[in-house]
Amino acid sequence: MSASAIAISGLTIALPPGADRAHAVDGVDLESGAGEITCIVGESGSGKSLTAHAVMGLLPSGVRATGGSIRFGDADLLKLAPDVMRRLRGRDIGMIFQDPMAALNPVMPVGRQVTEQIRAHRAIGEAEALAEAAKLLGQMGLEAGRVLRAYPFQLSGGQRQRVMIAMALALGPRLLIADEPTTALDVTTQAQIIRLLKDIQAQRGMSVLFITHDFGVVADIADKVAVMRHGRIVESGPAAQVLGHPSDPYTKSLIDAVPRFRNETPPLASGTPLVTVNNLGKTFQRGGLFSRDKPVAALDSVSLTVGRGETLGIVGESGSGKSTLARCIIRLLDPDAGEVLFDGADIARLKPRALKPLRRRIQMVFQDPFSSLNPRHTVGEIVTAGPRALGEDAAQTTARAAEMLRLVGLDPAAMRRYPHEFSGGQRQRIGLARALMLKPDILIADEPVSALDVTVQAQVLKLLDDVRRQMNLAMLFITHDMRVAAQVCHRVMVMRRGRVVESGATAQVFASPSSDYTKELLAAIPGRARLGFGN
Amino acid sequence: MRNFARRFFSRPAAAAGFAVFALILFIALAAPLLFGHGPFSIVGVPLLPPGSPGLLAGSDVLGRDMMVGLAYGARVSLLVGIVSTLCATIIGVLLGAVAGYYGGVVDDLLMRVTEFFQIIPSFVLLMVLVSFLQPSLGSTILGIAMIGWPQMARVVRGEFLALRGREFVQAARILGESDLHIIFRQVLPNALPPIVAIGSMMVGSAILTESALSFLDLGDPNSLSWGSMISGSRSAMWVAWWTTVLPGLSILITVLSINFMGDGLNHALNPRRRER
Repeated sequence: MSASAIAISGLTIALPPGADRAHAVDGVDLESGAGEITCIVGESGSGKSLTAHAVMGLLPSGVRATGGSIRFGDADLLKLAPDVMRRLRGRDIGMIFQDPMAALNPVMPVGRQVTEQIRAHRAIGEAEALAEAAKLLGQMGLEAGRVLRAYPFQLSGGQRQRVMIAMALALGPRLLIADEPTTALDVTTQAQIIRLLKDIQAQRGMSVLFITHDFGVVADIADKVAVMRHGRIVESGPAAQVLGHPSDPYTKSLIDAVPRFRNETPPLASGTPLVTVNNLGKTFQRGGLFSRDKPVAALDSVSLTVGRGETLGIVGESGSGKSTLARCIIRLLDPDAGEVLFDGADIARLKPRALKPLRRRIQMVFQDPFSSLNPRHTVGEIVTAGPRALGEDAAQTTARAAEMLRLVGLDPAAMRRYPHEFSGGQRQRIGLARALMLKPDILIADEPVSALDVTVQAQVLKLLDDVRRQMNLAMLFITHDMRVAAQVCHRVMVMRRGRVVESGATAQVFASPSSDYTKELLAAIPGRARLGFGN
Repeated sequence: MRNFARRFFSRPAAAAGFAVFALILFIALAAPLLFGHGPFSIVGVPLLPPGSPGLLAGSDVLGRDMMVGLAYGARVSLLVGIVSTLCATIIGVLLGAVAGYYGGVVDDLLMRVTEFFQIIPSFVLLMVLVSFLQPSLGSTILGIAMIGWPQMARVVRGEFLALRGREFVQAARILGESDLHIIFRQVLPNALPPIVAIGSMMVGSAILTESALSFLDLGDPNSLSWGSMISGSRSAMWVAWWTTVLPGLSILITVLSINFMGDGLNHALNPRRRER
């Protein structure tokens, strides 16, 4: 191990008065050597991102470092003047973020943005900078000629992240800070980006601080790991040691909460299906009065069945059509072709009025715990909305709502409070209670845990499973995460570009996938090798 | 409700705005009781400065009591400001909500109508409308509402477009709530902040627009407003500042107090601010 490129010691970051704790970061010590990838892992609110922002000198206003030091080379980054820090940033310290779309200027071609970055720090001409940019993009595995002229919206998420990495590395920094760089990407793209980062890091011998919440990613990329909780480092050390023999109970619980391929839900004996979907099709066409874009087939003859008490997983990356499928079944969207048989009757083309009595039997839990609850309604109003829409007795409904909140693990006193007073996991429970109030026959869960921390994720998954059992629900479980699907589904169906690629019993699909795409998805799961998946 | 009032008055600006507005409203309503004569009766020598015996705010070019004029002017200005804003808001919110929530053809149609109103210079439209209908309080209010609603409709449409895609709206549809219920109970409360903000500005601009109409002698000839006071005194502006400054100041204070109340209203309606 070489001398440390960056050494953080005793870093303390104070929060403004009135926050839920005094210090966002409290006495953090961390070192990362040249040629090392150090992962900072933690759940939301652990202080991992603020630590990284402190290194970059980009703490939000009202938040400042009150103690400790960050040694980078000969300098203490906390004591540098803003303009010195600014010159350092970008030149000696590169950064990449979670959302490359937000970090790129949408109205400027990518090439100009890369050359601008280079020329901000070096006195060279545009042509020279352009040649340099092309070389860099080439190293990132991009087709430089095309990408240089492209606007950000013309690139895929993975390509955009590669551009961001190229920009971060343009000036040969000694330290790269990556803040959740793969969180917004599909799993196969994530695997590619992780491989790219590792290769480049090895070539250049720089030091990388990699912030993530995902232990799978840690297992794939880290040389060193630091686990953060409530602003403190609870455990740190070489990756093999922390992952293989965690000494801290919190680290253990985090690693245990990573969903494994531990399928305890063999397929049910087939009975009469509750919902049968036959050859469902949906095409989107955008455009105005005079021009029409090329139609996009979001669903292309998709068929499935799901029975009472059964969970069918629908797995796919973004753009696979899995959410469109859910919205066509629940009739938030009108399918163009095919049929949706619910208890034997086709509901694909029912008029809204005829659909209304069926609404209560098909319910949905949404992905975003923040946008799925009306911020201006109390939890009581939210949970009783369904029965009220059907004109049920108010007093009885309220009593039932209290009971339902208890069932999903919340205090009935929550009824008088507003959604913003609850955490993400609690909000998902409220959303579930709202759906269950109508005593549905089938529950569609659209990425219900993808916005949650792993420990909370595990709790919500368990709750969903309990509820399914208790109420003998049919469940369509939509997810991009193979690990989650493996945990809760009896059967899974893999989708890609609007088509079903593969379907079957969960254990079988995961153990011996028949399509190449499924194999690719499984291989891309982060941490597969090191955390012992695929048993 | 008591909670709402407490939150509203917890903001000093809102409380002050409310107090000032209430005072102006009281003076306007009680004008006939407070003063022994009407705004048009001549009480003394023209252009007496404020503080002259019996004339708190001085007298105007015709020797009428300015104080009485300001009080009666408040009746007209407030009536025009508030009623025309209410009309414009109701029209704008309804059309904007329907256009934004349903989108597609409905949206296209309603927005083309809105644009039709927006591309005509609004003050010219107002002048034509008012002179066509004969200048009166009613035609002034109608005219100002007609030029005010497109702005409200645009903003409300934008808010609804953004909000209708939110998952809680989808959830409401799945629960079987009617469109009407979703529009008014789910989406509208979330679109309130800009509506209140624009509404409170609109009261101000309606008062100013009425002043401009009166200035052009297109106001109701039988009633005195702050605008017509300024208009009637413009020839004396350089020799008797109070004849124009006092009605102008009245407009300013009224508009300011309404804006402060609008801010307070938004604050009190937002559940996120409730615990503080």
